Amino acid sequence: MIKIKDVSFSYEGNPKNALTNVTLEAARGDFLGIIGQSGAGKSTLTRVINGLVPHYYDGVFSGDAAVGGRATLESSPEELARSVGSLFQDIEGQLFASVVDDEVLFGLENFGVPRDEIESRVEYALAAAGISDLRTRAISTLSGGQKQKVAIAAITALKPEIMVLDEPTGELDPQSSRRVFETLRELNEKHGVTIVVVEQKIMMLCEFVSRLAVMNGGRLILEGPVASVLKNAEKLEDAGVNIPRVTTLALRLREHGLYDGEPPANIPEAARMMRTAVHASL
Amino acid sequence: MKSFLDYVPGDSALHRLNPLTKLALAFGLCTSCFLTRNHALVVGVMLLNLFQAAIAGVLDRSLKMLSALVKLSVVLFLAQLFFVREGRILLALPFGLYITDAGLSFSLLFVLRLVAATMPLAMMLSITRMSDISNALVRGTGIPYKYAFVLTTAIRLIPLFADEMAEIMEAQIARGVEFDTKNFFKKLRLILPLCVPLLISSVRKIEDGAISAELRGFNLRNRNSGYKRYPFGVGDAAVLALCALVMAASVMI
Ligand SMILES: Nc1ncnc2c1ncn2[C@@H]1O[C@H](COP(=O)(O)OP(=O)(O)OP(=O)(O)O)[C@@H](O)[C@H]1O
Ligand SMILES: [Mg+2]
Repeated sequence: MIKIKDVSFSYEGNPKNALTNVTLEAARGDFLGIIGQSGAGKSTLTRVINGLVPHYYDGVFSGDAAVGGRATLESSPEELARSVGSLFQDIEGQLFASVVDDEVLFGLENFGVPRDEIESRVEYALAAAGISDLRTRAISTLSGGQKQKVAIAAITALKPEIMVLDEPTGELDPQSSRRVFETLRELNEKHGVTIVVVEQKIMMLCEFVSRLAVMNGGRLILEGPVASVLKNAEKLEDAGVNIPRVTTLALRLREHGLYDGEPPANIPEAARMMRTAVHASL
Repeated sequence: MKSFLDYVPGDSALHRLNPLTKLALAFGLCTSCFLTRNHALVVGVMLLNLFQAAIAGVLDRSLKMLSALVKLSVVLFLAQLFFVREGRILLALPFGLYITDAGLSFSLLFVLRLVAATMPLAMMLSITRMSDISNALVRGTGIPYKYAFVLTTAIRLIPLFADEMAEIMEAQIARGVEFDTKNFFKKLRLILPLCVPLLISSVRKIEDGAISAELRGFNLRNRNSGYKRYPFGVGDAAVLALCALVMAASVMI
């Protein structure tokens, strides 16, 4: 679905490489989380996927990127947008309508979706984002989390195969963040959308995604299933990523032979780990 | 943050009018206020606005706005009052200040106009969806969608700017800057430097917004893209007739 091969990129007027030899693949139905400290190149990587790099952001690009079988170099971001939906951090700036359903209509109208299909698309998108009940609400009266879901619905209506989100919960409290991620999980599991998401709240991210990619200084230093990536405590620390304490604990328990599973990715798994460890030490 | 410019969903007769009718009414009423020199007519426009607000179910918002405008008007009224030197002196005050009948009449008209002319536009925005305004404009007048979009986006950005400014000011207050100073010039000196960060963060937001619009096919849009239709009904004809009547009256009396 996404094939990035040996991509390097530096922005115009900024000689430092924003990305250096990044190779990354994601299959259909993957739910990929990207982490790394500020300036690591996470946003730039998402821009490679939706074609904004190098089409919108000028700079020096090398390597190959293909999305949904289309080379990003040969298609405009607009063409790519038919298979890749993108969301940026600032929610307000991306909403153009007064009322929720108008927001969803905007893209459908633009892409010339046939009239008799529009209503069902609007309903589908609102339902998929879990906001059918907000359909006639004024956007200005919604909470940050609800606005984010409106933005997700507006993209979902266009039925993209891939959705790329750059810090979608950056301005949200933990609870709203979780709700947004639950919406993403639903899109991923029920509707088969491949999702790539940049996120700072690592603990939460690990709970939802199936794969993790860790960026550091423009390089992709780790990539794979969540549990196997989290094992690399040192590399993560180098990348400035705070590893969940429960992961460190799992690794320590393993060293002492008290636990042999994967580091837990959520609370039930953590509880199971503790039970196992307690039993093993008795 | 909610502002006076936000849309309030509803299904009143006014909400259902053609967006162009609402736009015409708002501009018609504004223009009348400035065409006429008759105090009563300006007050009439004001009442008409409140009547509209009552029908559309946004009366309390309109009253709130009215009271804010009145407060501002009092200051402007007093400032204006002493500047007019012509006319019959009604009241002589120390320091060579006096109030004349012409000054009273002029100042009153000035603030009445200000209040009455501000309300119709806010009223129109309260009961019309942004997308309906731009779509109806494109369909009805044939102006390119881009211009209509710029217009509605500019309106949409006002509360966003206000939010941003409030955020930046809060950050400065947290650092000990005293914005609550009474001295206007001191306050101005404190606020001016903030315009730069405001501009930078706003430009960044607008740029993200522009990219997002493009990725959602903004450039593919044409005159026939709109999904909704905006029929012109009996209600529209009646409202436009009323608007024409007010305008005619404002020219004649
Ligand atoms: N528009 C731009 N023009 C020039 N340089 C840029 C631009 N955007 C990013 N960069 C540079 O590219 C590098 C990678 O930035 P990027 O925004 O991808 O990092 P990030 O991991 O998303 O960081 P953050 O967590 O702060 O969002 C940084 O050195 C940054 O300064
Ligand atoms: Mg970023």
